[in-house]
Amino acid sequence: MIKKIKASKSEKILFLFLISISIFTLISFFLLKNKCLFVEKNNLSKLKFNKPNNIAVMNVECGNVIIELYPDISPKSVERFKILIEKKMYDGSAFYKVAENTFVQAGDIEYGNINNLDYSKIGSGESGLGLLKSELSDDFVFTKGSVGFARASEFDTEDSEFFITLKEIPIYQGEYTPIGKVIHGLDILTKIKTGNKAIYVLRPDYINTFKMLNSN
Amino acid sequence: MKILLLFILIFQISYVKADEIYNLIKIPNLEIYKLKNDNNIRYLNAKGNFNIGVNKNITCNKTNKKNLNTKFQIIEKNLNRYNSNFLNKIKLKYVVFCENLFISEINTGGIPDNKNRTLILDINFNQKYFERMIHHEVFHMIQNSHIKYFNEEEFSSFNQTSFNYADCSTCSDRLNLDLYENTSGFLTEYSKSIPSEDMAEIFSFLMTDKEIIEKKINNDKVLYNKVNFIKLNLAKIDKNIL
Repeated sequence: MIKKIKASKSEKILFLFLISISIFTLISFFLLKNKCLFVEKNNLSKLKFNKPNNIAVMNVECGNVIIELYPDISPKSVERFKILIEKKMYDGSAFYKVAENTFVQAGDIEYGNINNLDYSKIGSGESGLGLLKSELSDDFVFTKGSVGFARASEFDTEDSEFFITLKEIPIYQGEYTPIGKVIHGLDILTKIKTGNKAIYVLRPDYINTFKMLNSN
Repeated sequence: MKILLLFILIFQISYVKADEIYNLIKIPNLEIYKLKNDNNIRYLNAKGNFNIGVNKNITCNKTNKKNLNTKFQIIEKNLNRYNSNFLNKIKLKYVVFCENLFISEINTGGIPDNKNRTLILDINFNQKYFERMIHHEVFHMIQNSHIKYFNEEEFSSFNQTSFNYADCSTCSDRLNLDLYENTSGFLTEYSKSIPSEDMAEIFSFLMTDKEIIEKKINNDKVLYNKVNFIKLNLAKIDKNIL
């Protein structure tokens, strides 16, 4: 006959403790996996803008990044940027070049899209709209959240690729064409996948959609 | 094949330290030393050692801050002689400081890179020739950006027909940088290496010891022609540099 043994009080406490640790670990696993958990969402209907025609909304995994464009500083470049947005050419574009807490870069239309990602050619793709002349400004400071057109080593080679700074980068002043600034959702960009010390990212994050605020 | 390419790419990029300065001029481990200057030159400092170039054949070490602060006074004084308009024309915007600069295991004072508008300077280069070396390297940027003005064949034609330059600057043992007492067409032994070094030597002496050179050319026809060639073509870029 098997003798029934009653658990002592301390054994019961230990058992409950282990159960709660297991539950906590399980919940944490799923919560921590969600990198967007503590990122503030931007509700467009609650936000007001002075120049709504110059507001672009980039939707990425963690929410909306709202960018104000500066046509007064770089008219041709902003015009190109708007065309690319309105033609939905940035939708599905990879953030293939990311320096942690420094900048994120996307916009290779030809080789950097979710439907055609070519790691051997990424960064060299073209939009088909031709190259632009650099519109440099000695007064524009690349503070945190600045949006600029990327280029090759030479000036006047801007096409479609753009970058967003995640910190102030004074050395970029007068080097890159400024397009605008992020006015809401900069913290969302800090969640973009990095290359883990390398500047290029394997299996990168993508832009879901990119729209002008006033577009239908 | 694509998998192999991908593998090579992953292997290559894992060495690249991602930062904003690397993104701009393709040299890793740099920091800003001085950004705002009257002639718009931006000075950068090696905070760590770096290897760049084809097969990583260019190497240089991080600087000692105290050493750099001392040498910077000399470098800035000399580079301030070039105005921003001229520097734009010769595509020079970034000056990188490091110590013990080597290219293919040969020690050198500077490496010009017109594509990235950058001049790398070894702040430990022999002090005796240090100031002149700065202008010498600047000349390479001038020539690289204005090849048509500084045609090497035309320049070489001023020499005695019996004279031949070496095939390259690093495959010659003509390395001495001291000014010849008796010039006979060349200011230094290094001038005899290749035409572009000959031109750079003349330019650097014109920037640092113009009066001595003006005297030397009075008794040296070949040198007279060469110096005039440099002056004339330089004036096409900027009349006030010399």
